[in-house]
Amino acid sequence: MDLSQTGDDSDLVLVGLSHKTAPIEIREKVSIPEAHLEDVTQRLRESCALPESLILSTCNRVEVVAHSDRPEDSVHSITEFLHQHHSLKPSFLDSFLYRLHGPSAVRHVFRVAASLDSLVIGEAQILGQMKQAYQAARELGSLGRLERLVPQAFFVAKRVRRETQVGMSPVSISSVAVELAEQIFGRLKGKSAMLIGAGNMAELAAQNFRRSGVTTMLVANRTLETAQDLAVRLDGRAIPFDELGGHLVNTDVVLVSTGAPHYILMRKQMEKVLKQRKYRPLFLIDIAVPRNIDPACDDVENLFLYDIDDLQQVVEANMAERLENAREAEEIIDQEVEKFFRRRSSEQVGPMVRELIDLFEDVCLRDFSSLANGMTEQDQQRLEKHLRQSAHRLAHPLITEIKRVAAHDPDRLDEVELVRRAFDLKNE
Amino acid sequence: MPAVSGLIFNAAFAFYAVGLFHSIVAFFSKGKLSFRIAIYSEVLAFVLHTAFLVAIGIELDHFPLTNLREVLVFFAWTVTLCFLLSFWRYRSQMMGMFSLPLVTTLMLGTAWIKSTNPAPEMLRSSWVYLHITCLILAYGLFFLTFITSILYLAQQRRLKSKRFNLFYDRLPPLLTMDQTFQRSLIAGFCFMTLGLLAGVIWAEEQWAAGWHTDPKVISAFVTWLIYLGLIYLRLSAGWRGKKAAMGSLLGFLSVLFTFFGARLFFEGWHSFY
Repeated sequence: MDLSQTGDDSDLVLVGLSHKTAPIEIREKVSIPEAHLEDVTQRLRESCALPESLILSTCNRVEVVAHSDRPEDSVHSITEFLHQHHSLKPSFLDSFLYRLHGPSAVRHVFRVAASLDSLVIGEAQILGQMKQAYQAARELGSLGRLERLVPQAFFVAKRVRRETQVGMSPVSISSVAVELAEQIFGRLKGKSAMLIGAGNMAELAAQNFRRSGVTTMLVANRTLETAQDLAVRLDGRAIPFDELGGHLVNTDVVLVSTGAPHYILMRKQMEKVLKQRKYRPLFLIDIAVPRNIDPACDDVENLFLYDIDDLQQVVEANMAERLENAREAEEIIDQEVEKFFRRRSSEQVGPMVRELIDLFEDVCLRDFSSLANGMTEQDQQRLEKHLRQSAHRLAHPLITEIKRVAAHDPDRLDEVELVRRAFDLKNE
Repeated sequence: MPAVSGLIFNAAFAFYAVGLFHSIVAFFSKGKLSFRIAIYSEVLAFVLHTAFLVAIGIELDHFPLTNLREVLVFFAWTVTLCFLLSFWRYRSQMMGMFSLPLVTTLMLGTAWIKSTNPAPEMLRSSWVYLHITCLILAYGLFFLTFITSILYLAQQRRLKSKRFNLFYDRLPPLLTMDQTFQRSLIAGFCFMTLGLLAGVIWAEEQWAAGWHTDPKVISAFVTWLIYLGLIYLRLSAGWRGKKAAMGSLLGFLSVLFTFFGARLFFEGWHSFY
């Protein structure tokens, strides 16, 4: 559908593998560490004769995007390069690789940028990783004609984010915990939280709560030093483990993740706490395995207890919602791919159109000097203006049609090619 | 109903109906546009509604609270006011739209009420206007109390069930409902107290002896006691959730009985409408 079938054989190619086609054992073999990226890009350019290329390597995908004048050959050489570079037997990767050309390559790049091809659909990290890859390739001067595609992919990603809900609902344990707290308390400013234990995930969640505006953060641990360290990291206050019960009355969110093999918070105790709180809602989050909060606490009115499985369930529900929203995003991708090619083909006929106008002007002005001989300067100017106008009038219907075909009617591009040949116009 | 105010009334009703329709659509489709149309229609209807009250007040040359129709129109206005205020304060879609079914029904209902005789001259006293205004404001606020207690219950159920359901996804945070519940309860109670006091003062001055055995007076006093009890239990024992919902349901049923029932089942001084 682009000019590649006619005057210009160059095309976009993309060779790669991702979590969708290759298991982690394969991906880790092929992934290219950031430190080696420059070196690898350099070698790719040399061994594959690919001056215009970009490598995207994350833990979920390794992809080489290139603009090549001989697309078929380039796909082969990139595949070979990947095998050689990672010292793999030839054809080892073949069943894991996807090889895309033209529109499908563009679509793929757009989908990756918009996080529709991600393991966690809608996660924001991939855009940052792509920007890094773009920056690296740019510094190496290896972008060439990709200079158009990649920023366009960033634009598409932004449009998807703006116009759809993909990425809105939280899909990690710690962000779901914050979301739930907001459904209970509204804004978290002025609320207080307590972290019991020092589990990694609990600390992550505590940090998330801190960022979401929780005002007081208490930290309790069997060893006071650990609590104090954590308190410094979380900008909170350490309290002795034995006294945590007394603080529960004034705490709104409690995060528990200790290594203890038994329950730390019991139902009887929580009943008392809720009564003292006059049944103001209390949110308990138990991230520990084995659990640290007696599940029977859930029966207490206005106490909301979520364990790791409950949180996971919400995560899954949100994931399902993201998939739903991803459908809208795919429509945006469709539109943008089409727009990209329409713009590209009108830009490709641009030089040809200019050449055509020049040619017509030349023809019309060929006898100007002999005609103008002996004329006053005023008359000369009028004659020249008239001849130029004639050239433009002649060229106008032809140019309008070429532009129209390039923008809206790619199937008829061979007719444009006829014009190119007839007037002996150069390829751009 | 004279021409101009009649026209304004019809326009207000039309916008309430549009709002109701779109709130139902928004409820099922989760569409942001429908929700926006619903809220804008409700605001516009409220403005027209206010204009209607002013226009009819000017036409009749008195505060438009002299017959059942006017009282219902004013009650509908109060309910919308309470809900729009809570929407403006908490940006909660549900709260903004919950009033629409009731208000639209009330507005429609008034069309069927035949123009009744104007109230006797004796009732055209500022005490009576204060009495009615305060009580209707109180009833509007109690309706909000009732709805928020139901929404609280729904949100509590959802959070307890740990299942995310699209329907409930649009509920406001638990604490928001809790605060609206308490504020509307206390404000409603204050207005009711004021309204009852105004009525008592007027009755002592003007009314024949024996006003305290009027069924509506007794029913209103019982309602007042129910809400007093609810406030006490709320503040001392932290009544929330199911108990609070039951309490505010009882209170609001008592309000409805006072408003309609006492007039239907018993003969008394308040049956002048």
